[in-house]
Amino acid sequence: MTTAVRVGAVAAPSVARKSFHREGRAAYLFLAPSLLFFCIFLILPFLFAIVLAFSDWGGFDLGTIEWAGVQNFSEVLSFDGAFVKPILVNTLLFAFGSVLLATVGSVLVAHCIEQLRFQGFWRVLYFLPVVATVVAIGNVWKMMYQPAGLINGVLNKLGVNSVGFLSDASYALPSVTVVHAWASIGGAVLILTAGLKSIPDMYYEAAAVDGATPWRMFWQITLPLLRPSLLFVLITQFIGGLQSFALIIVMTGDGGPVNATNVAAFEMYQQAFKFGAWGTASAMAMVLFVVIFVITLLQLWVARQRGEETS
Amino acid sequence: MKRRFPWFSYLVVIIGGVAMVLPFLDMVMSSFKGAGEYGVIPYQFFPKSFSLDNYRDAFSQLELGRLFRNSVIVTVSVTVSVLVTSSMAGYALAKLRFRGRAVIFRFILATMMLPPFLLLIPVFLIMLNWPLAGGNDILGRGGDGGLTTSLVALILPFTVSGFGIFLMRQFMVSLPDEMLEAAKIDGANQWQIWRLIVLPQTKPVAITLGLITFIGMWNEYIWTLLISSSDPSLQTLPVGIQLLQSFLDPDRTMPIVMAGLVVSTLPVLVVFLLFQKYYVRGVVLSGLK
Repeated sequence: MTTAVRVGAVAAPSVARKSFHREGRAAYLFLAPSLLFFCIFLILPFLFAIVLAFSDWGGFDLGTIEWAGVQNFSEVLSFDGAFVKPILVNTLLFAFGSVLLATVGSVLVAHCIEQLRFQGFWRVLYFLPVVATVVAIGNVWKMMYQPAGLINGVLNKLGVNSVGFLSDASYALPSVTVVHAWASIGGAVLILTAGLKSIPDMYYEAAAVDGATPWRMFWQITLPLLRPSLLFVLITQFIGGLQSFALIIVMTGDGGPVNATNVAAFEMYQQAFKFGAWGTASAMAMVLFVVIFVITLLQLWVARQRGEETS
Repeated sequence: MKRRFPWFSYLVVIIGGVAMVLPFLDMVMSSFKGAGEYGVIPYQFFPKSFSLDNYRDAFSQLELGRLFRNSVIVTVSVTVSVLVTSSMAGYALAKLRFRGRAVIFRFILATMMLPPFLLLIPVFLIMLNWPLAGGNDILGRGGDGGLTTSLVALILPFTVSGFGIFLMRQFMVSLPDEMLEAAKIDGANQWQIWRLIVLPQTKPVAITLGLITFIGMWNEYIWTLLISSSDPSLQTLPVGIQLLQSFLDPDRTMPIVMAGLVVSTLPVLVVFLLFQKYYVRGVVLSGLK
């Protein structure tokens, strides 16, 4: 195939150039709808978001927008406000907690499913929450967390007093974190399964000949060779956790009790669409974006250090 | 590494599996609970009466029909649009030679790194100040609502997907060039080649992308909540069902909400189970770019 092109190019350079030119026009026609979309709904908003973060503006009249310098940032990042503590701290705890739970859970489950029959069935089972809307997940768990719900019902049967999972400020954040982890295990299981399948059987066979226990095989063969997929799951889920707030709207309504479950993206949403403080909200969005961006770069750096391609 | 009987694995997978399914069973059970059966202590898992009242109430109070119609219009429009635009752009990036191809491909990859929450505020303001829409003048001023007052607002920001273009491009790269060359020699133009030769062969990846888009849009919540907050006629299933819950007494409405959720989850569950092989492959592909 490549030789055919090369021969053609040598024999008739002008024809080749002409077809290259024509293909270029066709290519840009095929790309036009997408590029137009990205200009209007990606580049323009991105630039707008940066401008907004540095400006003072309420209402909707673009004529009244004023340059505010870094004032929004100094307000948002000041320790007197609620954004750094508790909101940003909550965001990190929520993302970190759910990643930790989901990763440990999904490694365990993905590994165990590999030993069983009907693997497809089990994976679909764990994937169900990924298919359901956040409104279904949030409300079902909210219902299960209630004093008269399933979980307290079981606790009462075991002789334990009811817990105010969502009403008690010290339990609320862990409670929504568990739900987020629960909902993300299925996706992680699928990606880790693909990683597990790529580990050659002969490693296990050799280890078995040497008399290794399954426990040692898991720690010394499975985990180290799973590292690229594991790293991918960790990073993407962490980034997802940092920006997720739909579950929190559904489960707690306002990030309560008293900011206990408020996270950065939700605070941004409230500042913008409840109070119309576009500048403050955009500064918050920028801060969160920078955090996510740094983590993404860190991921690329770690991957390159180890010579692994994760994205 | 298969062993005699992996009892430990069975234990883990079954306990975890119960934790995965139990919330959905609780949802279904609660949706059948009659008056006075929900929210009582001690907790009862199974409903005593298996009443259908909650379903009747869900259809009347929620206007499930209207929510369903909106959800279908939005989901189908976005899915069709994403499939068409992704396969067009994917074809250009995979099979056509032109100046700037590498740059544009890298740009498409970069679009996937911009988190949606960052664009929420500016996209909303852009839609609001859209020129010549909803009474706006050519500078996008003066009207009331711009583009945010119709279902178009729920569709437009999702019509193109960087991930979709990427997925299509990766698949199309592996299509054999010979067939395209042969078509070109037979006098087909690029449009005909895309439409008649490339498209029919992309069916598997199109099903994958269509499913991911369909399920994602069917469940979309944040943007729809924002747009429909000023105009309830734009609500889709997730938003409409969620809002019912916040109005009335929770012990009375929660079972109705559950009935609504059962109805709204069923279509997507059926679609997923029918095509789960394709969906699973898409998730793995997106994970192992």
